[in-house]
Amino acid sequence: MPADGAYLSVLRTATAGLAARLDFTLDDIEDMRIAVDEACAMLLSQAVPGSSLECSFTLGPDDMTITVAVQSLNPAPPSADTFAWTVLSALAGSVEAQVGPADRLAVVMRKSRPNPGSV
Amino acid sequence: MKSAAPARGRPGADDTDGTLPAVLELSEDNDLSDAGELGDAAGLSDAGGLGDAADLSDAGELGDAADLSDAADLTPPPRVQHGARERSRARDLFERLSGLPPDDPERLRIRSELVELHLPLVEYLARRFRNRGEWLDDLTQVATIGLIKSIDRFDLDRGVEFSTYATPTIVGEIKRHFRDKGWAVRVPRRLQELKLALAKAIGELAQNLGRAPTVAELAGHLQMSEEEVLEGLESANAYSTVSLDAPDSGDDDAPAVAESLGMVDDALEGVEYRESLKPLLEQLPPREKRILLLRFFGNMTQSQIATELGISQMHVSRLLARTLAQLRDGLTSED
Repeated sequence: MPADGAYLSVLRTATAGLAARLDFTLDDIEDMRIAVDEACAMLLSQAVPGSSLECSFTLGPDDMTITVAVQSLNPAPPSADTFAWTVLSALAGSVEAQVGPADRLAVVMRKSRPNPGSV
Repeated sequence: MKSAAPARGRPGADDTDGTLPAVLELSEDNDLSDAGELGDAAGLSDAGGLGDAADLSDAGELGDAADLSDAADLTPPPRVQHGARERSRARDLFERLSGLPPDDPERLRIRSELVELHLPLVEYLARRFRNRGEWLDDLTQVATIGLIKSIDRFDLDRGVEFSTYATPTIVGEIKRHFRDKGWAVRVPRRLQELKLALAKAIGELAQNLGRAPTVAELAGHLQMSEEEVLEGLESANAYSTVSLDAPDSGDDDAPAVAESLGMVDDALEGVEYRESLKPLLEQLPPREKRILLLRFFGNMTQSQIATELGISQMHVSRLLARTLAQLRDGLTSED
């Protein structure tokens, strides 16, 4: 979809819908919505204007991996000195930034559903 | 953000008929006392920069330059930088904390500093939940409780960054606040009204069109942004947070703005104001200018403005805050 803030609500809704399918709790669903939003905000600030934002969801039996990617003229890993990164890494189970190949910049987030009965 | 005494009664506030000083009413309106969003706007009214009509008609200053620069020092929301300096300061404080005996009064002082150090994080997180019908002040307070809990529970030995540790606790505290208040059954009134309006509009349009309306058609019919229509349609979801990047609707208000801008401009005719303020006002986009004028010259409440423009009150609040911040920046950069 276009690398434009206007489309983020679509992504958040898609994230929530898929997380719900995996039986995540409402709290975890909300965390993922926020995480996706933070990730996209960071990427959009580096994206080539008028280019596309790619988003892919991979569903495992107990987890969900979301990858968001843009094209950037000088892709640089998002600064860890921002609230966006702090919040993103706190709410998504695991986060990774990927630079390349070429002008691609991506953030990969993964969240696992805790096993029932765990703390 | 306390209510300041209106300037109308003050000596010297003559020519402008107390219209510009109406900005001091800023602090009375509940929405605008939201700490997070409008800290600068409140600072502006407290400084009396824009609000002091007497100063504005003086040959000299634009109000108290010193106050305006204080307002300029207020961190504009939302703060996004959370640097190494803050993190290492936090680490130092926690180290000192762990070395103190339980009843040492120094503990309290260190905890206070830790809280203050992380207030930007608290506000950053609280802002996400601001569309759920709670005042941002309340959310910030709740979030701060989460912060304090985190501070008390945090253990440096965990090897994790405090902010990272605290975020889920703070967010959890906010969510629990909503759960305790029965969020699942209590929908903000604005959304309830929106849903009713939508249902009615869908019915009317469907009848006229002979098919289901599109979101754009609904938005046009209700004089709202498409984002708001979608929000209303989605409001069946129990949980929703607002993207920090959520765009303001662009040209949706254009026709309405053009109509009454002429009317409001007439109100400006008899007003004397400083040459530096006038060009700034002129530079504002039509809608923002209209909102500002309706608020301070038309003395309309945000709700009334919202109805007039066909947008939500929260939207008016946001635009107003942003516009005031812009004006403040424009005024201070003159020095």
